Amino acid sequence: MSVRPSVSADAVSGLVGVLRRVVSTFSGAVGLVIVVIVVTAALFAPIIATHDPDAINVLNRFQGPSLANWLGTDHLGRDLYSRLVHGASVAMAVALTAITAALVTGTILGVVAASVPARAERLILILFDIISSFPSLVLALAVVAVFGPSTLLVVIIVSVTLIPHFGRVARAQVLTVRNAPFIEAERLLGASLPRIALFHLLPNIAGPLVVLASMDIPVVITIEAGLSFIGLGVRPPLASWGTLIYDGYAYLSDSKLPVVIASAALGIATLGFTLFGEALRDAVDPRLSGDR
Amino acid sequence: MADPLVSIRNLTLDARTGRGEAHILRGLHLDIRRGRILGIVGESGSGKSTLASCLLRLLPGNISRLDGEILFDGTNLLTLDLKAMHAWRGRRIAMIFQDPMTALNPLFTIGTHLVDVLRQRFPDLTKAAALSRSEAMLVKVGISDAGQRLKAYPHQLSGGMRQRVMIAMALLVEPDLLIADEPTTALDATVEAQIVALIDQLRHEFSGSIVFISHHLGLVAELCDDLCVMYGGTIVETGPVADVLGAPRHPYTRALLACEIEAGDEGRLATIPGEVPDPTSPLTHCIFASRCAHVTEICREASPQLIPAGADRMAACWRMDEALP
Amino acid sequence: MSAETATDPAGQDLIAFDDVSVVFGGKVRALNHVSFRIVRGEIVGLVGESGSGKTTLCRVLMGLTSATSGIVTIAGEPLRDRLARDPLGFRRQAQMLLQEAVASLSPRMRIGTLVEEPLRIHNLPRVEGRQRLLRLLGRLGLPETTLEKFPHQVSGGQARRVAILRALVLEPEIIVADEPTAGLDVSVQGDLLNLMLDLHGEFGLTYLVVSHNLNVVRRLTQRTIVMYLGQIVEEAPTSALFSAPAHPYTAALLSTNPSVDPAKRRQRIILKGEIPSPINPPSGCSFHTRCPQMVERCRIEPPVLSETSDGRRVRCHFPISPQV
Repeated sequence: MSVRPSVSADAVSGLVGVLRRVVSTFSGAVGLVIVVIVVTAALFAPIIATHDPDAINVLNRFQGPSLANWLGTDHLGRDLYSRLVHGASVAMAVALTAITAALVTGTILGVVAASVPARAERLILILFDIISSFPSLVLALAVVAVFGPSTLLVVIIVSVTLIPHFGRVARAQVLTVRNAPFIEAERLLGASLPRIALFHLLPNIAGPLVVLASMDIPVVITIEAGLSFIGLGVRPPLASWGTLIYDGYAYLSDSKLPVVIASAALGIATLGFTLFGEALRDAVDPRLSGDR
Repeated sequence: MADPLVSIRNLTLDARTGRGEAHILRGLHLDIRRGRILGIVGESGSGKSTLASCLLRLLPGNISRLDGEILFDGTNLLTLDLKAMHAWRGRRIAMIFQDPMTALNPLFTIGTHLVDVLRQRFPDLTKAAALSRSEAMLVKVGISDAGQRLKAYPHQLSGGMRQRVMIAMALLVEPDLLIADEPTTALDATVEAQIVALIDQLRHEFSGSIVFISHHLGLVAELCDDLCVMYGGTIVETGPVADVLGAPRHPYTRALLACEIEAGDEGRLATIPGEVPDPTSPLTHCIFASRCAHVTEICREASPQLIPAGADRMAACWRMDEALP
Repeated sequence: MSAETATDPAGQDLIAFDDVSVVFGGKVRALNHVSFRIVRGEIVGLVGESGSGKTTLCRVLMGLTSATSGIVTIAGEPLRDRLARDPLGFRRQAQMLLQEAVASLSPRMRIGTLVEEPLRIHNLPRVEGRQRLLRLLGRLGLPETTLEKFPHQVSGGQARRVAILRALVLEPEIIVADEPTAGLDVSVQGDLLNLMLDLHGEFGLTYLVVSHNLNVVRRLTQRTIVMYLGQIVEEAPTSALFSAPAHPYTAALLSTNPSVDPAKRRQRIILKGEIPSPINPPSGCSFHTRCPQMVERCRIEPPVLSETSDGRRVRCHFPISPQV
């Protein structure tokens, strides 16, 4: 009876369909382009960089853009373009490692929380509350004060603070999906609990979690840049967008270029991932998609 | 037929879907007679609910074409502007849905709902007068403790109660046309019987016409005066219920009747083989040709018109005048 | 065991409920001392409105909900022992078709994967299993292209056939069908019921069919159980029950069944009110609040399910005697 497309949507279901719906909006298309550029830069940094990002050439400091140095050089005469590209690597590595770790841990905890008796569930939820009530920056400062700055620490801190985020969503998803008739049908066939969880529960709760993960990428990039900027994250001379801004800031009177370029990269990347994440959310949201 | 309340002429509705342009209603002609209950039956995809939406002009956004006329006492509802249509909905047309919760706001009491509807219809009514009239209407639709129920919220009532409230709301408006879309489908059998008995009893006090949409042929047979059988976005047969079901002129009506399970039936159950027609394909043949047991050459070449087929009856079949087995 | 329990001297019963009760949260009595038997090869119908306990009964039978008291016996062995000893074996013996056929198929799997699942879960020989699958696919009238599709791409009738296929590949003895025709158009409904009747004969199945559609129950079943508020109120051979109901509730329920043939219509019996809450069931006879022939005794003394001469069981102080 209904007039909405029913069977037709199957042509565009799955990953291809989702991507097609993402690029069907202007902001989604812009987001996707930026994401592709940043990810490509991050993946192929050693190849597309024109210089060694750490090679110092003091005679060549504070140069403007030229054929030799596309975006100019910093206070030690290092090639800004190459440092920017390697900074993308660091940003993506930190973001993806931290988010993947949080996604996996959070999902496991969330699924467990939804499956165990009420008392154990409450313990896990209290753990989530404790973590999320702790400001991540303060936590970072405390940890760095004890162990000293390091990239690994940044990853761990960010990851831990994101766990409740994924855990709560995973738990809520499990609670709605686990009473679905198809889960009951599998039980009636005799399927074991791990089998049901792996083949029937996970694929049906994954969508919202992946969207959440993609929307967390820009957050993590900014946290990493922020921590590096105040000297608590990535340690020099390793190029990070945060350290780039920090270095440039100290020599702002000599050249504004390093700060401007690194900040622009950070801003554009954050914007791109945010736009992409929002478009992805709209594309996956069952209320907006036609295949249900 | 003398002066019907609503005359639907060549009502055509297309919608954009993922598979292309779907022809949801393919040129309907239908009269809703004054003071009678018209039952509309059809299977999923027949267009019966879309027809009801057209009468209310509550249509989804993907409509690509809406043609024809719905003449309500001489006014074409399809050309009214939205504001005028809204006024018609509140005064002359009322609707009862399958799920009352879609029409009741969980944040307001039953009394608020009833008084609102009533004062929108009769703006001069005082609140006290509206309240007492609402209470009287609740009593009339068989709700005990009507005074208490006015203070209740929708979720505090059972499904049957909510449907009674919906009927009360519809009747307070004193509409000329009441549309009931599967109003008892979600209810238990003994409660369904109560609601059907209520509608049957109210029809004597209610002067307007009722359109009763259902997939349940037996229910329509017991409750309605007139019958309209829909298939694949077309009307295949209309007429007084007893006449149509007693001697159907269209093979689809006959096949549908045969599928009803009746006391004393033996042997294999009847079915209608084949699949429902594709809504995106154009109508160049009889819509039922692919599933009809009596299909001939002409049925595959041209689509039959809905033409008179006896007293107050219409049917769309090339072979209705032949004696078919 | 209560006096209501029937006996099984010959050991023929495939399914036996003896005084089974289910209480949820200490208050809600979903099943209230239910006893019945189903013989191998029988088709039994279960009728009742929402809140009557028919869903709970099915879940208990399938081992998804455990009985608070009483014993469920499958082929002579208590279900509890069976589930502890050989849970997968029980799943191969008893299968259930869920009401929402499309929703009972995992939405992100292709039908082809879904129908092979039983083979994987039960570690059945793959080659033989696949041959059986293909044979059944043809037998159920499903085109092979169905295997490529996702559940939301098939019709309600086809989804039901896929569910039947998944059950039959395990070669069960017992099939519980919950509202097998819910949501199906009448033109397709007959097809499915014909198929179920054919499969009953071909595979020697035993059916428990739950439905609110009285016509379906009348056509499909040999014996009918009527439930009200967690209790069996009447049980009789289907033809006897439909021609002469003995319990006032059965009579009212049957009278609500509309007919297109004016000659076959019954005088409608309109009951007052709705089913009371199982949290706080009425005293005496649980039906007395709505019964058209209630007297003082019904309010105080709960009637027992007593057996009459013609193989019928009725829970009423004043059963309706068949009109001669």
